[in-house]
Amino acid sequence: MALLELRRTSKKFGGLVAVNGVSLAIERGEVAFLVGPNGAGKTTLFNLIAGMLHPDQGEIFFEGRDISRARADRATKLGIGRTFQLVKPLRNLTVLENVMLGAFLHTSSTSAAAREAGRILEFLQMEDVAHLPALGMPQAKLKRLEIARALATRPRLILLDEVVAGLSTSEALALADLLARLREWGISAIGGVEHVMQVVMRIADRVLVLDHGTLIAEGTPEEVVQMPSVIEAYLGPKYKEFTQ
Amino acid sequence: MTRSKSWIAAGSFAVCLLIPLVVRTDYNLQVLFRVFLFAALGLAWNLVGGYAGQLSLGHAAYFGAGAYAMALLPHFGVSLWLAPVLGIILAVAFAALIGGVSFRLRGPYFALATIAFAEVLRLLAKNLPSVTGGDVGIQVPSLFAHAINRSFYLAAVVLTAIAFGVTVWVSRSKFGYYLMAIREDEDTALSVGINTARTKLEALFLSAGITAMGGALYGSLFLFIVPDQVLSLDISNEIAIVAMLGGAGTALGPILGSIVLESASETFKNVFHEAHLLIYGLLLVVVVIFLPEGIVGTVNTWLARRRSALAAAPKQRAQRNSAS
Repeated sequence: MALLELRRTSKKFGGLVAVNGVSLAIERGEVAFLVGPNGAGKTTLFNLIAGMLHPDQGEIFFEGRDISRARADRATKLGIGRTFQLVKPLRNLTVLENVMLGAFLHTSSTSAAAREAGRILEFLQMEDVAHLPALGMPQAKLKRLEIARALATRPRLILLDEVVAGLSTSEALALADLLARLREWGISAIGGVEHVMQVVMRIADRVLVLDHGTLIAEGTPEEVVQMPSVIEAYLGPKYKEFTQ
Repeated sequence: MTRSKSWIAAGSFAVCLLIPLVVRTDYNLQVLFRVFLFAALGLAWNLVGGYAGQLSLGHAAYFGAGAYAMALLPHFGVSLWLAPVLGIILAVAFAALIGGVSFRLRGPYFALATIAFAEVLRLLAKNLPSVTGGDVGIQVPSLFAHAINRSFYLAAVVLTAIAFGVTVWVSRSKFGYYLMAIREDEDTALSVGINTARTKLEALFLSAGITAMGGALYGSLFLFIVPDQVLSLDISNEIAIVAMLGGAGTALGPILGSIVLESASETFKNVFHEAHLLIYGLLLVVVVIFLPEGIVGTVNTWLARRRSALAAAPKQRAQRNSAS
């Protein structure tokens, strides 16, 4: 049984079909990346899996359970963590307190939550800023804070929406190396990126290409970047001939 | 809160309990009653409006529930001290109804919905004279038979101490962190597994219960209530203003806010007579412009800035020294 399975899932916003009959399966321990141009439907797909939105058609199963109608907090409790594309730190709380919020899912003790949060910040190499307010942190730290908060809920699947957007190449690659270690913790991940393929090449087991809400290709990173349909989606039909 | 701070808080409340040894006139005790009553009400409001960031402008609904329960229930053979307890239960039932509907709305729409519910209750109370006495009003039995003003003052201090204790507990607990998460960003709160609807309701239950006890004390001291008084927008506003003036989302804010606001309004009444509401309004405008985070919030921000400036100063000096 796959960890996560989408069966012909669709979501419309008025006349716009944001996600169109997407079927996919994520295995335990797998790191998959969803790539696609801006507006391809990546964030909508993440919101569907995380319970922020519910599909108009099709079903979503997590560990064999139908979660198509589950609310966002329920999805988190079942083991789906997420980060937001536009970082959403709780700005008046410290970095540590932000992460504690995730840890509170498994404990009611403030000190236990603080210990757990400290451990995760150490893993993400953020212990030096633990006691500073989230307000005013640079973008690279805020991206890590999003991941730390999601990890603190002890997810079995983590959704990383545009996790390296806005980072420099070196920052992005450093983060990718950390994310590659999620496998050690037995956490599956679905990342979403628009175009930072270096990160994808480095850590993805499998790449799923989304265009106009439809899954147009999937395969290993090496396979996918060679596919004519992928190049067409990104660069337009004119460039397709270069691959032949 | 550290142990020394707990002792300071306990000591301060003990001193407040001793004040009637010095202050003996009925008038002064009634002013002090009002200061502590609104401190407790502000603290109660603060759980929902401050920590959870849900701007309720209809707390008169719970205040009135407590006051009317205190007035009506003893007529049906309910004992004097059971009446406020049933008032608390009634207010929590109102909170379930009002919160259940209003919490679906965010921002100003939530505030408007809370005003609407309180107004509906006020109009109901006005138009059901057979139950509530309508506009004519209704008598309220006194909870205390002896040393009435002193007893009510002490009851208000105890209620404030309870509300303060609850606030400190909340601000240190998982529940408090959850409320702050909801205030800062509801989507993030959901993403860490917080059932935001239920958490907000729990905060409102606590808040409504304390507010109802305050309403019962108020009605019972003044012996007579009418809908336009205990269910009025004025009461809702005053509760919210006390907390915001002192500093919403802080434990000390509502107490300080009540001391400032209630003593100012009392002084203005004596000094400016008919113009006191004008002066009172101007004071609020000044506070909103110059102290948007409230008194405690502004002082905290100032202290934090000073601390970080002090922390940065030695570093700068070291840099200067190494440069030279």
